[in-house]
Amino acid sequence: MLPATAVALAVLAALLAWPVPALLARAHWPGRDPLVALVCWQAVGLAGGLSIIGALLVHGLAPWGHSLPEAWWSWVRDEPAGDPVRGDHWVTMTLAAVLAVELVGVLALSWWRTARARQRHRELLEVVVRPGPQPDARLLDHPAPVAFCIPGARPLLVLSSGMVAELDEGQLAAVVAHERAHLAEHHHLLLLPFVAWKAALPVLPAAERAYGSVRELVEMRADDVALGSLSGATPRRTLAEAIVAAAGGTGGVPSGALAVSGAGVRARVVRLLEPADPLPRKARWAALTGAVLLLLLPTALLLLPAL
Amino acid sequence: MASLGELERALMERLWAADGPVAATRLRDELADRGVALTTVHTVLTRLEHKGFVQHDDSRPRGFSARASRADHAAELMHEVLGQAADRHAVLARFVGSVNDEEARLLRELLAGGSTG
Repeated sequence: MLPATAVALAVLAALLAWPVPALLARAHWPGRDPLVALVCWQAVGLAGGLSIIGALLVHGLAPWGHSLPEAWWSWVRDEPAGDPVRGDHWVTMTLAAVLAVELVGVLALSWWRTARARQRHRELLEVVVRPGPQPDARLLDHPAPVAFCIPGARPLLVLSSGMVAELDEGQLAAVVAHERAHLAEHHHLLLLPFVAWKAALPVLPAAERAYGSVRELVEMRADDVALGSLSGATPRRTLAEAIVAAAGGTGGVPSGALAVSGAGVRARVVRLLEPADPLPRKARWAALTGAVLLLLLPTALLLLPAL
Repeated sequence: MASLGELERALMERLWAADGPVAATRLRDELADRGVALTTVHTVLTRLEHKGFVQHDDSRPRGFSARASRADHAAELMHEVLGQAADRHAVLARFVGSVNDEEARLLRELLAGGSTG
């Protein structure tokens, strides 16, 4: 019997499904250190999946042994269970299998779908774009001020002619540096698990919230990296000006999900103009240690003998 | 040897610049400096047709033309690439989405009142 372990994992899963993401999304410190916050979000996502599937599995396999590896091995070899197997054991085992298959399946599916859409967009854009003002940037003739990059093996960085017309040289360099940061740090990979979570569990409001937070943090992180590569006396202001010019530009293009409230854009501009102190070293390490522990806790509960 | 993408762009430039439908042989002649064979021109034209950039008429020989102006294609692409579906699945990373007029005004005020730093 492994009831205590299953209960502990279930409690952890419940915490990670609602209160923890809610607190992390509401907290102010992630804006002060987006990179550390992104690590924490990855840990929350991973530990959440591990603990919910683990809780179901541990309960389902309880009659077969005293630790999950032992019970699993005994079950795989079709050995008779040590304790009577009830209906709820079969139900939780089935649920664990369904959830695991769904999560992995949705992850693979969204990876594949996204990769296909990227390739299609890249192929279409390549016909229309022209060489841009920067060697790695392409120019698309459109009056709206837009800049974006399509990640992948052959990344594509696109600036609209409206963007080039609207911004001065320094601001344009800031935009390109921001997009380059997305590509260099593979931010699309950090978003992928949350796209999958959101698609796999649309009833979980925390999944949507987590995706929104991670998107915002990725933008802030790209802003921070861009600042490091900018010359000029006031790089923070230059980048903020570029953001405001691009956000305020009209011209009949879809506005994008982040713009629904505009709050994400405002947060970026505010932290550029009035930067908060960076997170103290101790707080940084505390957050990172917390993220590691968050991952170790369900792993340990799954592997160690039952309580 | 030019890549297919490069040839696609070169052909589209010719078609966008042309007054009316253009025969494949004329396109080959115009691209003579690249040493492109007629079959290659046809391959690239077929690819461009599949992508929705090119259409042909039924005359003999077939005349090829751009399906829309460069600006129209750019506008159409903007809509597809920046559309909701792409946004939900993080197909691309956009510098910043556009906000409504009220939000834009607030942002400009923020910038005007902000300290330089």
